[in-house]
Amino acid sequence: MALHDPFTEPLIEGDKHYGTIDEQIGGVIQNQKRYHLKHPWYLFLGIGFALLNVLLLTIAWLLYQGIGIWGNNVPTAWAFDIINFVWWIGIGHAGTLISAILLLMRQQWRNSINRFAEAMTIFAVMCAGLFPLLHTGRPWVAYWLFPYPNIMGMWPQFRSPLMWDVFAVSTYFTVSLLFWFMGLIPDFATLRDRAKTNLGKKVWGLLGMGWRGSARHWHRYEQAYLLLAGLSTPLVLSVHTIVSYDFAVSIVPGWNVTVFPPYFVAGAVFAGFAMVLLFAIPVRAQYGWKDLITMKHIDWMAKIMLATGLIVFYGYILEAFYSFYAGSKAELALLQWRINGPYAWAYWSLILCNGIIPQLLWSPKNRRRLPLVWIIALVISYGMWLERFVIIPMSLMRNYLPSSDRHYYPTLWDFSMFFGTIGLFLFLMMLFIRFMPVINMFEMKDLLYKLQGTKASAPPAEPALAPAGGE
Amino acid sequence: MSDYVKTTEEPNSESRITNSESMDNSNEQKPRLDLDAVRAKLAGKKGAHYWRSLEQVAETPEFEAWLADEFPNRRSIADIDRRSLLKVMGASLALAGLSGCRGYFMPEEKIVPYVNQPEEMVIGKPLYYATAFTHAGYAYGALVKQNEGRPTKIEGNPDHPANRGAANVQMQASILSLYDPDRAQSVLSNGELSTWEDFLKVVRKDLADQKKTGGAGFRLLTGTVTSPTLQAQIQELMRDFPRMTWHVYEPFGQDNSHAGMQMAYGQPLAPIYDFSKVKVVVSLDSDFLLQQPGSLRYAADFIEARRVKNGDVAMNRLYTIETTTSITGAMSDHRWGVKPSDLLRVAAALHGAVTGAAPEKGSVPVDAIARDLVANRGAAVVVPGEFAPPEVHAACAAINASIGAPVSLVRRFDIPLGQTTGNVAPPTGPQGLKELVDALNAKQVQVLMIAGGNPVYDAPADYNFRAAMANAPRRIRYGYYVDETSKECDWHLPATHFLEEWSDTRAFDGTVSIVQPLTMPLFEGRSIHEVLDAIAGRPQPGLARVQSTWRGASGADFDKRWREWLHQGVIPNTAATPVTAGSTSTFTPAAPATNGGGLEVNFRPDPHLHDGRYSNNGWLMEYPRPIIQVTWDNVALMSPKTAQDLNVRSEDKVELQLRGATVQAPAWISPGQPDGVVTLYAGYGRQNAGSVAEGAGFNVYPMRTSGAMYYDSGLQVKSVGGVWPVACTQIHHQMEGRDIVRIGTMDEFRRDKSLYRAEEKLDHEEIREQNMYPDEIFNANDIPQWGMTIDMHACIGCNACGVACVAENNIPVVGKEQVKRGREMHWLRIDRYYTVNDAASEKAVREDNIGLQDPIANPMTVFQPMMCVHCEKAPCEPVCPVAATVHSHEGLNQMIYNRCVGTRYCSNNCPYKVRRFNYLNYSDNQPQFANLDFSTGLAWAPAPIHSPKEHGIELLRMLSNPDVTVRGRGVMEKCTYCTQRISQTRIEAKKQGRNIADGEIITACQQACPTNAIVFGNIADPNSKVSQMKRDPRNYMLLEEEQTRPRTSYLGRITNPNKEISG
Repeated sequence: MALHDPFTEPLIEGDKHYGTIDEQIGGVIQNQKRYHLKHPWYLFLGIGFALLNVLLLTIAWLLYQGIGIWGNNVPTAWAFDIINFVWWIGIGHAGTLISAILLLMRQQWRNSINRFAEAMTIFAVMCAGLFPLLHTGRPWVAYWLFPYPNIMGMWPQFRSPLMWDVFAVSTYFTVSLLFWFMGLIPDFATLRDRAKTNLGKKVWGLLGMGWRGSARHWHRYEQAYLLLAGLSTPLVLSVHTIVSYDFAVSIVPGWNVTVFPPYFVAGAVFAGFAMVLLFAIPVRAQYGWKDLITMKHIDWMAKIMLATGLIVFYGYILEAFYSFYAGSKAELALLQWRINGPYAWAYWSLILCNGIIPQLLWSPKNRRRLPLVWIIALVISYGMWLERFVIIPMSLMRNYLPSSDRHYYPTLWDFSMFFGTIGLFLFLMMLFIRFMPVINMFEMKDLLYKLQGTKASAPPAEPALAPAGGE
Repeated sequence: MSDYVKTTEEPNSESRITNSESMDNSNEQKPRLDLDAVRAKLAGKKGAHYWRSLEQVAETPEFEAWLADEFPNRRSIADIDRRSLLKVMGASLALAGLSGCRGYFMPEEKIVPYVNQPEEMVIGKPLYYATAFTHAGYAYGALVKQNEGRPTKIEGNPDHPANRGAANVQMQASILSLYDPDRAQSVLSNGELSTWEDFLKVVRKDLADQKKTGGAGFRLLTGTVTSPTLQAQIQELMRDFPRMTWHVYEPFGQDNSHAGMQMAYGQPLAPIYDFSKVKVVVSLDSDFLLQQPGSLRYAADFIEARRVKNGDVAMNRLYTIETTTSITGAMSDHRWGVKPSDLLRVAAALHGAVTGAAPEKGSVPVDAIARDLVANRGAAVVVPGEFAPPEVHAACAAINASIGAPVSLVRRFDIPLGQTTGNVAPPTGPQGLKELVDALNAKQVQVLMIAGGNPVYDAPADYNFRAAMANAPRRIRYGYYVDETSKECDWHLPATHFLEEWSDTRAFDGTVSIVQPLTMPLFEGRSIHEVLDAIAGRPQPGLARVQSTWRGASGADFDKRWREWLHQGVIPNTAATPVTAGSTSTFTPAAPATNGGGLEVNFRPDPHLHDGRYSNNGWLMEYPRPIIQVTWDNVALMSPKTAQDLNVRSEDKVELQLRGATVQAPAWISPGQPDGVVTLYAGYGRQNAGSVAEGAGFNVYPMRTSGAMYYDSGLQVKSVGGVWPVACTQIHHQMEGRDIVRIGTMDEFRRDKSLYRAEEKLDHEEIREQNMYPDEIFNANDIPQWGMTIDMHACIGCNACGVACVAENNIPVVGKEQVKRGREMHWLRIDRYYTVNDAASEKAVREDNIGLQDPIANPMTVFQPMMCVHCEKAPCEPVCPVAATVHSHEGLNQMIYNRCVGTRYCSNNCPYKVRRFNYLNYSDNQPQFANLDFSTGLAWAPAPIHSPKEHGIELLRMLSNPDVTVRGRGVMEKCTYCTQRISQTRIEAKKQGRNIADGEIITACQQACPTNAIVFGNIADPNSKVSQMKRDPRNYMLLEEEQTRPRTSYLGRITNPNKEISG
């Protein structure tokens, strides 16, 4: 592939007009036979469903036995539970960043990936939300974390970062869901109009909420959407900042680091884009959306990964630096433990996965090698999980008093819970791909208008119902 | 209606109809079932006969009538119409659903009020009774707390000379054995249920046969007996059967001491040391702070003589020469590890040096020690090891005689008074058992009664006691558990717990205590006094028997005296009177022991389980052993160098071969262990011993032979591959140069009384200057402010405080798998660090942080009891999202279990890591007691929560302290400063309109501590003991740099090295 100039490359390739875009995206939902039955969709849905059952089984056993089925102990009171929570929350961040910040910055290239990323956000937050709830010793009273009027006359304890988490995550989920649903309304209306079956008309009609596409509708829509984008924008920064407070506010060696908030936010975007790529690359190939999610998109997402990856790497260096700078014996011992202890492999794999391997993305050629980008995205997802492993249980294993140092090792249930949430995520994503417009149709049409002007509304010489084609 | 009846009824429809009719007509005169008659009918029947008899009883019309009376509602169910039935069922289902929400974790309970309130009893207020706990024959005074008739805690009796209010671990944990679901509950005949009546019939017939021969075939085997009543009873028995023989076997008793004293003085004497007068102590392999009958007293006196007073210290000096690690060695100012085979040589050399002969050169500078001993003539003592060869005891006796050591000699009171010859003096030790085994093998024994001890498990291997025993036609076992020995006996008699019986017992100095029961026997147990009287054909209650022993001694007004004795817990003036024995400062050393090649081995009783008699006690099993911090297993202790030579690491499975026996064991590296010596703790590898003991550790007794009871050589150790997981609660053993335990020599202390190291001193001063918080955070306002000091100069690391905490605070036992995971629930742990005194070695240690693998030959061992320090600025409090941990006005960091959601953030943020979390439903969930098999890999999940032993949980619940919440699953817990005790005292003080006096509140740990290392009180009162301690210059706050401002502070430890040796 020759050199590309990303600024001159089109954001939509191929010969497109409004009808083809509708057909390409909406057809995936409305022409089920054509797009799904012969495709590996069932395979992935099946995997997701199987893992979802593993999750349900784990949760049932967890509620019956107690969290002692996990490997947590004293001093390592948080382990997989909080690792997975932070990991999933981080993954959600790309969606919000793409939808809100890029919208405000008028980055039109977001149009083809925002819907997809927002769905990921919502599903990831759902996965993440399971952990803080279920990791409590007595989940049946976990609602005490919410400020609600009660006969005990008790408020939650507002100084606790966990309390802030409750607000941050619930706000995040609510805003993300609203944002996502609002963006879907015009597309639901399109689907309603295109629907051929009675059921389709009714369901899409209901979801479309009476959208008629009038100028007034569009006006209100644009205003509301912009407002919500404005609301979500600080969330991109605040949610993971607050999650990082769980650690930064404490006095645990290895947690009490002021660099955590920016470093966590960058890490979240890093992980989020990795997850978007992880899904987008196969999906665009499968459903013939190479014209809509172009190499330019992939290239830009890879660049964002590279940039945030560098911030994260800087964070790792600073963490080590702070150990020396603080001069605390416990901090120094912890650093030594990280790089030289029994779990040193985790630390060095982290450096490799998040620090070294993403450097391959400096090369424009590499950014366009889809298998390579996909593998790098996978490596980053793994690396970001390791990062939380290094921060959470590995810091807790070492203490101010060396006598309380204890090893932590996970159980099978720790893994089944983690892979179970991956199953939940996969299952929901598969349902989403099949039953909802994965790419924002009206924004794509809007983009097409901006790129081609009125030409886009003209019917093509011959219907371009092209499924997957070469580039 | 009649379904129930059917199962027990003959298919005789006619009789059934008549019965039903008679039941329907309720006004009719019903035949009454005489339960006593039924019992009489059943008495004496056993096994199949018993059940058959029950069936026959059940067939009677009386029984059916009684059944109808017992379940009168059954009829109405049959009469009920379908509609109502469905209604009722619907309602019950709904209710069942409701109760199911919390039902499992919060069982419904019924309260039955007293019809007649017993005198003195106020519901909710505990009563305390004085009694005495006997361990291996020697007594410790106990005050036992009783709540509504249940004994719930054992504390030391302050009036008792052996412990003066302190308590050791076995004593405190013995209350758990009272409620042990595995204890023997009934008389068993060949493993089947039987009765006392049946047993007595059989044994009286046997003894009547024996009477003809004067009891030549009657043998009694006991452990050490110091009870005057029991001694008198045995003597009576011997008068009845002049040719019977009484054997005494104690696996880890005082045999070597007795033999040594016999060697030195030619008389059965026992030494009693007075450590309060001693300035120089030399321990020749003695663990006198823990392992002797007088240890609690010795520890108190020893520490009192080295306590820091008025800012200065005039302390004694302890030299320890030992063959393994012990807490006495850890407390010593100089310590050398020697091989067991060298011990006698060292003793002889020391004797030589003291008496002026030129000492031989060895690793131990005996000449310097001897000079120190001689210089402190009259205030110096040499203490021989409990298990050291008799010659060492003789050598020490000679040294002590020549330096005028404050040792008093008393006549051994485990031998009945006035009897030293004939068959009355029991042959003791392995020799005593040997005579029995020989007699058994010669088929001279017809009736063997084993009262106490467990010889099938713990007899020397070469005696093959199990096989020998089979030669006795009648084998009777009186014991607390149906254990290895019981399985080989045709009769098992359930013993009483000491809280269920009347008895008497003697302490290390001979002081007699009356043992009084706190409860009726929970099962069918009877005291040994009752049993011996009964088999001798003169049955009487235990109380009468014990009183008859003492009636003569009291003089007039026996009943009054008796009540006084019971109240005091001791009988005054019963301490043994010292005898003057001929001076024996001469000592001819025997030929030194030779090492027969291979490694040397030390057989030691487990510091908690002793010889195995406490191995089914979960508290003792789970509390980490001193120094090694291992739970649920015994291990092959070896030095780092020995392990290196053998190419094994801790937890490696090794095969131990000694005298033809092969035993698999986990290797364990223990710094301070002499090279080439393996120490093995006995008391594990039990079979038929209950759910705690079974599967824990390995049995060392197959390797232990009569010729080498405590030391042996020729041990072969080879790695067999694989891992034997060991649940150890501390994996990191050094302080990493952090300011955790402050230690200094006397000189260092005089230079800087804070014992600060320069580095920390600067750091902390800087922090103090920059500190924005006011120094006095609490505002007293006449409210007491609780605080604590722990003097590490006094702490000997004996674990008494930890077990006291377990007993007081309903702390559950979680099992090996959970401990291995790091989830032990002990609120109070004893941290142990290895350190060194000189700077060069300290640097070497600091640079190598891997832990146990360090080749530290002879580290200094320090202990630090750690529990919640109740920070003023507690890091746990602001991070709890639901305010479940908050500060009280009295400065307590409180844990509100009901509010706790279980996020565990508080534990993460606790720099002391003293919080404990109920990961599973530990308090109700007993399968954790099971010692899971790790050999096939990790146990992925705990056992299911329903278990066949649930009935046992009900029994164990009786032990709970009603003033302390039993924590369910999913909540955090930690030390409360015994807030229940604070509340009780506060209520009392308020009722009397006064302030709480200093020392009025004693926490459980403080109470148990033999050396008063823990002081608790009001820090707002400048005159309180704790405030005085806090003004001591050695006082420091742990992790001061974290600004948590803990209420518990520590006082540094001072050592007193001999300059001649340390240079």
